[in-house]
Amino acid sequence: MDAVAGAERMPSAVSQTREPLVYRHSLTVRVTHWVFALAFFVLVMSGLQIFNASPNLDASDKSDPARRVLSIGAQQLPDGKTAGVTTIFGHAFTTTHVLGYTSDGMSGEAERAFPGWITWPGYQDLAGGRRWHLFFAWIMILCGTAYFIGGITRKDVGLIVLRPSDVPKLLPMQLYYLRLRREPPPHGTYNPLQKAAYTSVLFVFAPLMVISGLALSPGVDAIAHPLTTLLGGRQFARLWHFVATVALVGFFGIHITLVLSTGVFNNLRSMVTGEYRLGAHDGNGV
Amino acid sequence: MKRREIITGAAMFAAASALAGCAKITNALNENDAIKSVLHAAEPLNHAVIGTRGEAKLYPDSAIDREFRVNGFDTPSDSAYAALRRDGFASYKLVVEGLVDRPQAFTLAQLRALGSLTQTTRHDCVEGWSAIGKWSGVRLSSVLALAAPQTRARYVIFHCLDRSSDGDPYYESLDMHQAAHPQALLALDLNERPLDADHGAPVRLRVPTQLGYKSAKWVGRIEVADSFKNVGSGKGGYWEDQGYDWYAGI
Repeated sequence: MDAVAGAERMPSAVSQTREPLVYRHSLTVRVTHWVFALAFFVLVMSGLQIFNASPNLDASDKSDPARRVLSIGAQQLPDGKTAGVTTIFGHAFTTTHVLGYTSDGMSGEAERAFPGWITWPGYQDLAGGRRWHLFFAWIMILCGTAYFIGGITRKDVGLIVLRPSDVPKLLPMQLYYLRLRREPPPHGTYNPLQKAAYTSVLFVFAPLMVISGLALSPGVDAIAHPLTTLLGGRQFARLWHFVATVALVGFFGIHITLVLSTGVFNNLRSMVTGEYRLGAHDGNGV
Repeated sequence: MKRREIITGAAMFAAASALAGCAKITNALNENDAIKSVLHAAEPLNHAVIGTRGEAKLYPDSAIDREFRVNGFDTPSDSAYAALRRDGFASYKLVVEGLVDRPQAFTLAQLRALGSLTQTTRHDCVEGWSAIGKWSGVRLSSVLALAAPQTRARYVIFHCLDRSSDGDPYYESLDMHQAAHPQALLALDLNERPLDADHGAPVRLRVPTQLGYKSAKWVGRIEVADSFKNVGSGKGGYWEDQGYDWYAGI
């Protein structure tokens, strides 16, 4: 594969032959990617199940309504119906059927922060949610360890880290995506926006997720008070855990959009067999 | 009905069905016993890795919740507990028995005479909330030492005076290592006042290194045993019997 890696790409307008296939993703990356994908789904959904048991997030150590950032609850209306109410930084929004008063995961609706179709399991079951969450947290830890060990030895991680020289290329790349610029700025295997996304996920939000999850454990807290203190306390750790979730779900949304819009077959093949056909908006080589 | 309404209605019905299907799948997976036992593999792993090490953080008086949140089972309302309450728990005795060389029955005065330990710690509920209380009482290990557990002893089981709405008694258990932790406390006071009925009077357990359901209220009898298989449904506690992990350090 090294031979094609350094090959010059011909301008597509004059090229009659297809662009070359390159071996892009190592087996470690491909396996951990799909295990991650499964674990991510279960962890987010079971996490929302756990959230539902106490649907408040406080920027504090102990629970403190005065420092409440997010609260998802229900309110009795004069007509006897129940409304879902979401309060963010003290501003209340009616969110009936979406948040606060939602699907009970069976056949009706109930006073429940997140609806049954997005929690794991669907109905209210904190013990069940914790069982899934704590198991897949281990899967995620093992998977992440395998990824970093495999990635560091194969230099995959090196390709996706945002470097200072990439920063001036972020805006031109965004303009290219928005079709306000003809050509993407010159870049390597991954473009600067991809690097920014991967770097923030791998080195900011994933570690924040792990650290804030551990800080929620009274057993871990007893071993390492500074961890919880660093995050602003236990309830604050719960808030960080949620913030990291929102960031990763956001990444997931962008990721899926781009996978679908930049050649879904080619993208999926690269994550199954490892082979990727270079395209017009790609950089050089693997 | 206009065509647009029919189409919109059909689309909404399809979306709702798809979403309901999602819950059906997760519900079914959640109830599968084989999957359940696989998922339970995380518990011994957490117990081994985190365990009971170090000590829970101590807080200044300024952090105390003066109105400490009441949660869990209703305060016992049976005639036996009512009788105990009426005489200010003068007839209460904390029984320590089982695999011990010297079974004990302590009155509240005798417990207080064993020396008082005060700790202001955070109570972390499995639901997710936290509250800080100032707890005073006697170290669990001091009480156990007087009863002299036998070498076969592996668990300390706390039989409580409260019952679920289905009539199942509350109980909890710690292993000998957890029971020997210096912060494992048989609390008699909360926020410098004797425990009131809602907070577990006259004696409650406090285990600040684990989630709140370990900190059993209304403790009536302590049993030292080599197993908890024969108590309740055999999982080591009321909530454990409902599917929660026995190791509650995470």
